[in-house]
Amino acid sequence: MNMRITEHPILGKIEKGQLVKFTYNDTELMGYEGEPISAALRAAGVMVHRHTAKLGEPRGVFCAIGRCTDCVMVVNGKPNIRTCITPLTAGMSVQTQYGNAVNPNGKRRERYEKI
Amino acid sequence: MKRYDLIVVGAGPAGLSAAIEAAQCGLNTVVFDENANPGGQLFKQVHKFFGSKEHKAKVRGFRIGSELLAEAQKLGIEVVLKATVVGLFPDKEITVRVDDTIRHYKGDTIVVATGAAENVVPFPGWTLPGVIGAGAAQTMMNLQGIVPGKKILMLGSGNVGLVVSYQLMQVGCEVLALVDAAPKIGGYGVHASKLARMGVPFYVSHTIMKAEGTDHVTGVTIGEVDKDWKIVHGTERHFDVDTICMAVGLSPMAQLFKMAGCQMEDSALKSGYVPVCNEYGETSIPGVFAAGDVSGVEEASSAMLEGRMASVAAAEYLGFITKAELAEKARKLKGALQSLREGMFAVENRDKILDKTEEGYDISKHLLKTGFFLEEELAKYPGVTKQNGIHAVIECSQNIPCNPCQDACPKGCIQIGAKITSLPVMDEGKTCNGCGLCVVSCSGQAIFLVNEEYEDGYASVTMPYEILPLPARGDKGWALDRSGEKVCQAEVVSVKTAPAFDHTHLLTIKVPQDMAMKARFFKGGSFYA
Repeated sequence: MNMRITEHPILGKIEKGQLVKFTYNDTELMGYEGEPISAALRAAGVMVHRHTAKLGEPRGVFCAIGRCTDCVMVVNGKPNIRTCITPLTAGMSVQTQYGNAVNPNGKRRERYEKI
Repeated sequence: MKRYDLIVVGAGPAGLSAAIEAAQCGLNTVVFDENANPGGQLFKQVHKFFGSKEHKAKVRGFRIGSELLAEAQKLGIEVVLKATVVGLFPDKEITVRVDDTIRHYKGDTIVVATGAAENVVPFPGWTLPGVIGAGAAQTMMNLQGIVPGKKILMLGSGNVGLVVSYQLMQVGCEVLALVDAAPKIGGYGVHASKLARMGVPFYVSHTIMKAEGTDHVTGVTIGEVDKDWKIVHGTERHFDVDTICMAVGLSPMAQLFKMAGCQMEDSALKSGYVPVCNEYGETSIPGVFAAGDVSGVEEASSAMLEGRMASVAAAEYLGFITKAELAEKARKLKGALQSLREGMFAVENRDKILDKTEEGYDISKHLLKTGFFLEEELAKYPGVTKQNGIHAVIECSQNIPCNPCQDACPKGCIQIGAKITSLPVMDEGKTCNGCGLCVVSCSGQAIFLVNEEYEDGYASVTMPYEILPLPARGDKGWALDRSGEKVCQAEVVSVKTAPAFDHTHLLTIKVPQDMAMKARFFKGGSFYA
């Protein structure tokens, strides 16, 4: 299923940057440099970006403009990156976020548990 | 701390217009916006705007965005991007977050044009990936170049829901249903008609009961609601969809005003919590103005005028223009704003079901429920006439502020008059030459050219067409009626394209003579399939 629009009836040909490699969890995927990470993931069929801390519920893109923070993921090791407004770069590492961690067992925020 | 005559928060239609007007008045102006690109929502808007020439009618939203940006650039206005204004203080000071630092600026006047955020309706499963805002769908399609899904259900039939549904169809998505809990379609009838004739069904007095799926949306169940907004048992209906879009209204993002200590009000007419403003958009703090959706949700055309209004008032406040100059500029802007705020969709008519147009014509109730007219209703409108030879048929039945068709006709066949919300009238004393300029100028795609004497036994129907692949002369397929039903075989006899048409093509099909007033869309494909 191709999710990319190659020609738009009003906007014409969609100009994109250079096709680059990045990793999603441990899989290698391709996306266009400069496009939002979420766009590259959607084109590759990825819908789940994170699981919530308490109930582990799946979340994906909702607002696509950096407002709702539902699409955050661990990018280059840093959690809570809004993938809908963060541009993709070559070699980027993108990981599903569980709570604040990349580990499904790390659902609870350890910081808070200490308090 | 840097100081400016005017600080504008938000580089959307209101903010950019405010900055342009201010710079023209001589104010040293800066614009801050949290996004990576200026223009607000304009660059997602690929449809043609309504209004009149002064409101940039029949120009597509993204072109208006480019025009505003070019104008701002020419005036040397400083636009700072990826700069989130996080604080507004009573003495007109702001704090701005850029990267990981907070900067501090002082404005002698401030225009806040932060716009609005989308509302949501919670239902079981609404947090599943695949449930998105209509704005998100628009962002994905028109900025990011990806489709949000293949099979889509739209919740909300206001103009946003209608326009985004049409745009989804334009990029090849299937819109399986348009659902609204209200008993009538909320947006313009012309927008609804575009969808209806492509076969999109409307479910008014319906709402979503649940989204299905474990990891992402795989389906949706809707049900009919009664007068108390409760689901009527036994009316459940299921659709296999991968995406649910929500277009259930917008709320002003007025937090900065609240923070600054402006007097606030909760106003249903303005769609939420907004600062109390005077006629110029000035809040209870002198020199602090609100413009665009943040002062009450409307649309981009009025936002641009409000931005200009705020700036001329700011210019007078600082002494850049005289009171007399302000009065003159404000009078023009007010007139333009007033014309946009009239008609059937004016704030005071919200939620009302009107029986008659301003001129006294019956309003189609059928249109409000299904998105299309019954043929017998149509004949009564002044834009729908029966003439020998080729002529325009204007299927425009609502008092919407819009008049490009009047200017488009080189023969003067179409009259709207001074009141911009009036229905277009076909002057039967004048002869249409079939140029089609009215067809492409109609932002609502509600004008068709009909020639019942095209050929012996055949009529031609010319329609606006914005879907790919573009049919070619000689293509055969089906004529669809206003409800999207196949009514007869049709052959494409002409496809006209011109730069001035701005990607709205003129598609002419040949149909049996008795189908001239029925055929309103073309679908290619085998006759016998």
